[in-house]
Amino acid sequence: MITEKIRAAAKELLEKGEVETVIGWERGTFWYNSTPVFISKPEQADRLVFDDFCANNLAKYLLDYRNADGKIAVFVKGCDARAITRLIQDNQVKREKVYLIGIPCTGMKEAPKTVSSQDVAGLPLLAKCQSCATPNPVIYDILLGDPVPQKEVGNRFAGVEALEAKGADEKYEHWGKLFSECIRCYACRNVCPACNCRECAFDANGLNWLGKQNNLQENQMFNMTRAMHVAGRCIECGECERVCPMGLPLMDINRKIIKDLNELFGSYDAGLNLEDRPPLGQYKLDDPEKFM
Amino acid sequence: MKTVVKSKISALLDEIAKEFNLLVPTAGDGASKFAPYTSGGQVSLDGRTLLPPKDVFFPQTEKMYKFSTDGMAGSLETLLEAPKHQMLFGVRPCDVKSIHELDHVFLTKGFVDEFYQSKRDRTFLVSIGCNGPAEPTCFCQSMGVNPQESDAVDVHLFDLGSEYGAVAKSENGEAFLQKYASFFNEAEVQLPAISEFALKPDVEGITEKLQQMFDHPLWEEVSRKCLGCGACTYLCPTCHCFDISGRVAGNQGFKFRCWDSCMFSEYTRMAGGHNPRPSKKERVRNRFLHKLQYFPERYGDLLCTGCGRCLSKCPVNMDITNIIKQIREVELA
Repeated sequence: MITEKIRAAAKELLEKGEVETVIGWERGTFWYNSTPVFISKPEQADRLVFDDFCANNLAKYLLDYRNADGKIAVFVKGCDARAITRLIQDNQVKREKVYLIGIPCTGMKEAPKTVSSQDVAGLPLLAKCQSCATPNPVIYDILLGDPVPQKEVGNRFAGVEALEAKGADEKYEHWGKLFSECIRCYACRNVCPACNCRECAFDANGLNWLGKQNNLQENQMFNMTRAMHVAGRCIECGECERVCPMGLPLMDINRKIIKDLNELFGSYDAGLNLEDRPPLGQYKLDDPEKFM
Repeated sequence: MKTVVKSKISALLDEIAKEFNLLVPTAGDGASKFAPYTSGGQVSLDGRTLLPPKDVFFPQTEKMYKFSTDGMAGSLETLLEAPKHQMLFGVRPCDVKSIHELDHVFLTKGFVDEFYQSKRDRTFLVSIGCNGPAEPTCFCQSMGVNPQESDAVDVHLFDLGSEYGAVAKSENGEAFLQKYASFFNEAEVQLPAISEFALKPDVEGITEKLQQMFDHPLWEEVSRKCLGCGACTYLCPTCHCFDISGRVAGNQGFKFRCWDSCMFSEYTRMAGGHNPRPSKKERVRNRFLHKLQYFPERYGDLLCTGCGRCLSKCPVNMDITNIIKQIREVELA
């Protein structure tokens, strides 16, 4: 059982004093809610679980431990590991200050409609997991369990291509309707492991780059800026779209930008390894100048 | 009791819409919410809406004043909408309770908020009871709400399966039931039993306990996973913090207010940059103390109606019922 393995791994790390905190998942409100947990004592390790509902990308929490004295251990699925690779590249996290416990992942499930049915096998995969290209962690110190095969995901830009085929007015209407629904809770930004500015421009008073009114103009400004700001750094974990309370298809925007970057600078997938820098985070003499 | 079969409701709503600006729960392609009724449109009278009805009285963005200058002269105008008679139909008891809490804030203790009052006064409330949890995350019963019946409304509808049982709760409600009497029958009814709630937080004595827990390490513990987004506060039917801001262009401008959230890092930031709630520990603590201690101290009611929206949409499953349980388990020295 993978849950027993993760408990044993966390317990050992804490008992030996190799790490000061272990970030993992524990059982939440109902059997289908698994939620982030922070363990600092060996006897708490039994709270840890790994099941079909550990959707949260834990990489983001490393930003809370930037100034920690000791090492932090984190359980990482494929997407979490890509996020951490990006954070290391951005000098937000030091590789030697984290201990990564990899878990191959076959995808997380949607919550059921009722509490009583416990038919996990019958639940669909989360949308974000259906197009996952990295089920196995790309970076880790130890790997628990055997790597899982990469499944066929098809063309992940199919949705973007369908939108690109629309006329300008049609596109404006499509996004205008969606952005009008945005309540500006900023869950998409706050859950995003690529959003790691010390202070977000939208929180900085006095700059007035974004007004506080909830209307289409300001909502568009927020949503487009958020997406543009993670250009080349989005690891496609899909957390923004998963957590949006209004169900906005935010990955369509992120993927449009990824597709554009691929066309401009050549194919690039963020966070697959520590060596390849994001196209917008480096300079090459032969960079295209289409926009100049 | 007067009863109306559910199949007649759309005909009744068509009639009501001739008299009132009618708002009903809708579940279109976006999130479910209260929206203007359109004949034959999407009316969803099962369960509760994702967005609470608070924006009917307290919009997310609301222009308050406009002003202009002309040389040394200036003008200021209050932007109060002309009262329209509107009906909020199908409000669940948890949300009725939340309107009662908003009334405390905006209408009592010596100050009346005219923007809230103008909308509140012209709104006719029709509630629909629940015979159990509408969602797994519901826990209204534990927060002192009767899931089956609301009193602080004009008309209440009991859910009797294939029909609704209607009871007038105000003089306007009596007049309403008389006016639309042709839709109703008179029948002896038996209210269904209320089915069991999965979540049953025990709030007995919680305010007194929290009065001794401001510096307790629990807040550090429970706040760790919070991402600091505002999903909980914006979906909450009772959260009511707002910020007043303005826009000026040339010699004219306007002031508006918009929802704000105590979970946001800049919420308490002062001129000069000091922030008395610098980390998520202080922000999360404030949110729960406001709901469970400060509001009850000031108004005698908890600022949570157990609608479960925060719990169902929190990205990290922050669970107020679990936090209440942890508060109860704390042993004070």
